[in-house]
Amino acid sequence: MAAELVVATTDLAMIQAQQAGMKAIGAGLAVGLTGIGTGVAEMGIGAAAVGAIAENKDFFGLGLLFTVIPETIVIFGLVVGLLLLFL
Amino acid sequence: MLTPRQMSHLFITGSKNQMEPVIQELYRQNVFHIEEFVEQTVQGYEDVKIGTPLPGASEAASKLIRIRSIENAFGVKLEDVVPQKRVPVQHLRETIDTKLSAIVSEVEQIQAKKSTCEEAVKDLEQKINELKPFAAIPLPLEIYSGYQNIAVFTGRVSKSPDLIVPNETYFSPAKEGNFIAVFAPAEHSGKVQLSLLQANFVAVPVPGGEGLPQDLLNLYTGQIAAFKKEVALIQERLEAMKKEQIEFLAASEELMSADVDKAEAPLRFAMTNETFLAEGWVPADRVDVLSDALVKVTGGKILVTVLPIDFEHDSVPVEYNNPSFSKPTQVLMDVYSRPTYTEVDPTLMISIVFPLFFGLIVGDVGYGLIFLAMSLGLRKYLKGEAGEQLLTVLRNASISSIFFGIVFSEFLGFAIPGWNPVLYSRHLMTEAGGHGPNIPELMVLSIWIGILHITLGRLLGIYNHAKQDHGHHRTLAVMANFGWLAVMWGIILAIWSSAVIPLMPNLTGLPVVVSVLNVGLIIGGVLIIVGIILIARESILEVIELPTIVSHVLSYTRLVAVGLSGVAIAMVVNYMSIEMFIRPALENFTIMSIVMILVGLGIFLFGQTLNIALTLLGGGLHSIRLHYVEFFTKFYKGGGKKYIPFGMKRRFTED
Repeated sequence: MAAELVVATTDLAMIQAQQAGMKAIGAGLAVGLTGIGTGVAEMGIGAAAVGAIAENKDFFGLGLLFTVIPETIVIFGLVVGLLLLFL
Repeated sequence: MLTPRQMSHLFITGSKNQMEPVIQELYRQNVFHIEEFVEQTVQGYEDVKIGTPLPGASEAASKLIRIRSIENAFGVKLEDVVPQKRVPVQHLRETIDTKLSAIVSEVEQIQAKKSTCEEAVKDLEQKINELKPFAAIPLPLEIYSGYQNIAVFTGRVSKSPDLIVPNETYFSPAKEGNFIAVFAPAEHSGKVQLSLLQANFVAVPVPGGEGLPQDLLNLYTGQIAAFKKEVALIQERLEAMKKEQIEFLAASEELMSADVDKAEAPLRFAMTNETFLAEGWVPADRVDVLSDALVKVTGGKILVTVLPIDFEHDSVPVEYNNPSFSKPTQVLMDVYSRPTYTEVDPTLMISIVFPLFFGLIVGDVGYGLIFLAMSLGLRKYLKGEAGEQLLTVLRNASISSIFFGIVFSEFLGFAIPGWNPVLYSRHLMTEAGGHGPNIPELMVLSIWIGILHITLGRLLGIYNHAKQDHGHHRTLAVMANFGWLAVMWGIILAIWSSAVIPLMPNLTGLPVVVSVLNVGLIIGGVLIIVGIILIARESILEVIELPTIVSHVLSYTRLVAVGLSGVAIAMVVNYMSIEMFIRPALENFTIMSIVMILVGLGIFLFGQTLNIALTLLGGGLHSIRLHYVEFFTKFYKGGGKKYIPFGMKRRFTED
């Protein structure tokens, strides 16, 4: 009886630890994969923006702005990650 | 406020001989935005041509070019000159010719001297380069030539050649290629050439001159130093001249560019054989002053008419009309696009909301103080109107950061000792028993901000369409905006009725009508359907944009997410430097501890600097992006023409 209880508590502790680990992995994946997505999206915009700035320096503000527009994707990832870890 | 400055469409006409005083007065008043005349082939306009410049235009223009060329030589720009005292125009006009030609001839002389010296230096450097390989061989230069029976080869080789004929060879190894000089009987020159070619021989011609190369080198180096000294002296003289003449030059440039502007103004007017016609825009409150002044200078021989504004065809120039508090924010508007004359000018809203967003993201007393110091300290280096405006925006944003820093109880990522966060905490790592981060609450709060901000945007959209559009299109556009609002609020109602969310109304308890659908869900659903119909009535393609309703609202969670990422970086940096290096070093103090403390301090400085840069970039860009992308797309079009009055703000001259 006592032995079974010990086994059950260790199982429970292990399951909880695994769940926490899975959450952490999920949060990591959410931020990492969306980061890649943002990077891919910003690649083209960034290149075009640098080209435009080389032609006309006044474009700097707008170019920088356009470049950060896909940042929304990684922010959604970050939000999901934070919710996973803290909710 | 919220609308651009009221403009009046002015039409000035009079006989040609009144044109000059009119131009003078318009320039002095500095309020008339000239609408450029374009020649038309329409019937009735055959005799109306573009005007011809006033006499003296080309003379003033050529003087202006001379002044600018001197300023170029001095390396100064008019914008960078700080005005000391104003020069009277009358005095300047009397002296400008003689003084200007004196300066021009002096500067030209100095420049000519300078370029001669620089050319001489270049020549000598060329000679030195040619001589250098020979310097390693102790033979005077005249020895290399003037033989009948001896062939001389000088050049670079990759290795020492095997010469099988009688010869005399000088070899000096060097990094850029071994140098060799071979003297051999002329009849063997073929064989010598062959062996040299095997050693990858590249000929180097013998430079002119007499004596030992080393002596010549020393001589040339001495000469270069002398020339360089002379150039430095000339530069000093130019600097002294620049200091002496800068005020005169700045004043003359101002005077002459005013003269050129005035003389060339008729090119923007329409003209018939006897009369001129000037069309343009004046702020409504200045019309009376301007027309009275014009009537006065011409003795009443002029007709000033205020035309009605035709919003379909006229593009009215736009001058901001903001309280001084929100004037600096105009720079953020100009980056996007100036508002058109008929739409709402959102500058005032941005000037309030942008600092709040920035503060919410940064939310740290330490960073706020650093940004405040930056905005005050950089004023010395960032000259120009746009730069100053940007720094003022940063100042307001940093004050807001300090405020939210106190609310969140954060100082450089540490909790402020003895002060708990007001309402919600962003502290990711807390001491045992402390309050953890209130992330769900903060996120819902940011979503609330998003809902309100977007609703405001849509309401402004309704106002703009009601004001700008006409007829059936107007009704459709206004209703479509209502549709967007209805869909958004319908979704929100539906969510409230089906789930419990902190800080949001709980409508799950409403009476159930059909199966699981309660009243809230049904009202929400109806709102969504009605909204979609209204949107589709304006343009069916807009329906594919429906998901943006959700994504734009959720986009406001960046206010918390970007802020938290900053907090996380700061906390990690603090933990690494203090807990991993400085605290263990202090607990057990040895010689090594000093190194560890230094490493800890290094990590702290590097990490915090990085985080400050990231926070500034993130806070600024994300706050402004929420305006440009999420807020402006609901109502703002922009593309207004800048109001540029004919005239100038005088800085260096006075009447």
